[in-house]
Amino acid sequence: MNHSNLKQFMIKMIPVGILITILSALYIIATVKHIERSTLRLKPVSLTAGCKTKLDKYQLKSGKYYISPYVTKQTGKQIRRAGYRPEDIRAIQRGCNIIDDLLGQDAKHISERWNSRRYIRGTHTSCDHCHQSIGDKQNATGQRLVGSLSLAASWVKADAYDRFTGLLLPYELRQMQCFINSSNGFKPNISDDIIRDITAYTRFLSVAVNLRTQHRYPEQGIDEIPVSATAKRGDDYVRGASLFRLKCANCHGARGFGTVINGRVIYPAVGGPNAFNRQSRNNFRFVSTILPGFICRNMPLGQEGTLSNQDCRDIAYFISNMPRPAGDKAGPLAALWQQMMMAILPRLVALVNQDEEAKPTSNLKTNENKTQVDQ
Amino acid sequence: MIKILKNVYQKIIPERQLLQSDLLIGLTLAVVVLPQAIAFSTTLAGVPPYFGIYAAIWGVLITALFNSSKVFHGGPNSTLSAVLGVTLLPVAPQFGETYMGYALTLLLMAGLIQLLFWFIRPLSRLLDLMSEAVINGMIFGIGLFLILKSLTAFAGLPINTEIEWPLIIAWHNFLALLEIGNMHAIEVGLVTLISAIIVRAFDNTRNWGILIGIVAGTLYSQYLNSKYGLENTLIEQTADFSAIGFVFPSIPIFTQDALPDIITIMPGAVTLALLGLFQTVAAMRRMNRKMGQLVDSREGISADAISNCALPFLSSLPTCASFNRMWLMQSMGSSSRWVACSSAVFLLIFVLLFSDLIAIIPIPAMAAVIMIVGANMMRWEDVRPHFSNWPEASVFLTAFLSVHIFGLFGAVIVASSLAMLHFKWQKLHPSVFLDDNGVLSIRGSLYYGSLPYIESIVKNSLLENETLKLDITATTYIDPEGQRWLHEIESSNLITIIR
Repeated sequence: MNHSNLKQFMIKMIPVGILITILSALYIIATVKHIERSTLRLKPVSLTAGCKTKLDKYQLKSGKYYISPYVTKQTGKQIRRAGYRPEDIRAIQRGCNIIDDLLGQDAKHISERWNSRRYIRGTHTSCDHCHQSIGDKQNATGQRLVGSLSLAASWVKADAYDRFTGLLLPYELRQMQCFINSSNGFKPNISDDIIRDITAYTRFLSVAVNLRTQHRYPEQGIDEIPVSATAKRGDDYVRGASLFRLKCANCHGARGFGTVINGRVIYPAVGGPNAFNRQSRNNFRFVSTILPGFICRNMPLGQEGTLSNQDCRDIAYFISNMPRPAGDKAGPLAALWQQMMMAILPRLVALVNQDEEAKPTSNLKTNENKTQVDQ
Repeated sequence: MIKILKNVYQKIIPERQLLQSDLLIGLTLAVVVLPQAIAFSTTLAGVPPYFGIYAAIWGVLITALFNSSKVFHGGPNSTLSAVLGVTLLPVAPQFGETYMGYALTLLLMAGLIQLLFWFIRPLSRLLDLMSEAVINGMIFGIGLFLILKSLTAFAGLPINTEIEWPLIIAWHNFLALLEIGNMHAIEVGLVTLISAIIVRAFDNTRNWGILIGIVAGTLYSQYLNSKYGLENTLIEQTADFSAIGFVFPSIPIFTQDALPDIITIMPGAVTLALLGLFQTVAAMRRMNRKMGQLVDSREGISADAISNCALPFLSSLPTCASFNRMWLMQSMGSSSRWVACSSAVFLLIFVLLFSDLIAIIPIPAMAAVIMIVGANMMRWEDVRPHFSNWPEASVFLTAFLSVHIFGLFGAVIVASSLAMLHFKWQKLHPSVFLDDNGVLSIRGSLYYGSLPYIESIVKNSLLENETLKLDITATTYIDPEGQRWLHEIESSNLITIIR
């Protein structure tokens, strides 16, 4: 090979060299990231207050066997189940933290919640807004509540056919529906640590309360309220609006935008850009039985069970008419339109409200005047 | 007699050297189509992998035989597979017997609609309303799509099935590759990628790049498996095809019970048919220019239609032109359509005789191959001419971005509309100029749309000149409104028309 040929060859090899350098650099970055991840998973987990109480109650600790104090109390027998390794304990703890505080409001660093913020849009979502008491709602005597969206009960019915789509859904895929629609977010990879940790926690819960796989328990899902469970007067938007003002607006705000104080979500949004999207099963217009069921079983906080079935359907109907994100299946144009309208309309409404307040006769005071409302 | 036979033989069979090269290209195509066929069937369409394999065998054979282009052929297609999956998702559970029946029905309906496009010429002419900028934008977009889509398989992760916001999902996939990817899988993918890149850098071995890459990746994965054990490396391998036969006859569902569901999936059939034809016509036009051949795009339509009418009876995915594989054929110097046919035969031989060997090809190596194919479609020299004209550049960029925002069908509609808008804008503003002799010449169309523009120029010219001559010899089209206007200004005696 003479000098000019060698030169030509070298020039030709430059892009190849650059490409190989980039690929090698990516390999090195991936190696570093993997080490960071391993270190993080080995670190002791700092629990949220709720998780500390919950996991202490179930006496989660590593060992050859696990005996749940809850089961002992309920059955009078000490039932030995397979124990947990230290890494299992940490996974369960991290999963509990994610359910309790998805946005990492209580975390010193967001890495404690792994990449949860990457997969949710908006600033309000946390799993325990729907899966209350960190997915394990019980009454004062320790009885698990009917239709309380128990994560333990949902784990034991995992890998079953979804009754809406007819698809066989593994538990990891069931979580996707929460991420995409209830959190108005994106699907994490099915192998992501966030999914693994949530699965570890819910699996532990099912052991702690002694549920058997493939059994249907009353605390699984929502105790839905179909029209047949009412006097069949039809769902009333005006009545729903009135009830919402009376029973819900105090916490969720008059426009359903939720209450945020000092950057902390106190009550989540049920409408607006931070709420569940139109394709969520919480959306009454999509599935009309779930949100009424949730309201009747869990709302208003501290006065659960005070609303009639018809009240719950009316409130849910009213909530479904609030503006909210389109949901990805509606396509990018619908998503853009919804976001645009939600960005413009609140400002217009605020302008109108300002005019109203400027009038000397107006005594209008909403909850949002007292608290900082996240829009 | 022997002389005649020898002549016929020489005509049909290319020269020895060319034959060797063609067989190598066919072999490469078979290797490239294999991961696509498996991935499209299982992850996008929701049917078993043999659907994709039969599309890559019988779909390729039928489409290659029913047209005269040197490179045009069909095969499993990502967009069509995704449409199949999305359309049938609400109808039946994926991978189920009913689902597969409906998949075949959907394919047959799409095939029949495509037949209509073949029989009714004006319909097929409508498909020509796609400019080169639109097609190149789509090709660039699909190239990037293939690379981004392969990230998870490259990292040994499950495929993220979310189809909305593909660019965001691709970014998440990239981060997942760095953070949680299987390092053994990444190493296998990198060995495949780097070996293929190095081999392709040399002119003499360029065409062997993908094959050598696959072999290197497979050997490295076997080494890792022997060292650590498959249960520790967790490197996914290609599906086992030992149960696949020569052909798998099937019948679409057309029972009375199924009628409501069939009506539900009708719009999906129209989308499937149109999407296939758009890609076919675009590919046919693009490849014609690349190869210096002129093949009527209707030949592509007929090949697609016949293929998609026959494939529902052979348990296959729908087929349409494949940009990436035809691109590969062209870049490797394919000399005839027998290359495509040979790829189908090679694939059939692979799955019939060497299924055990195929089974050990690691999925990350296949993902690396798809990345190379995607990168191969993104050639700057093909798109550089578009950037010398800003309307064309905007159409190219719109098509490219739309692939990732609105999908392929959306990209065709949005970018073609923009191209049409630009064309219409040009028609609205014909070239009108006044020379020193007071002659106003109109080059372009004189019609209701361009009249206000022309009238304003005529009026301004009359302010500077008492009389005017209007030269319409270079006017390409005059509509009735234009003729009436000409008659009016002629009768005013201020303007003389030169016809």
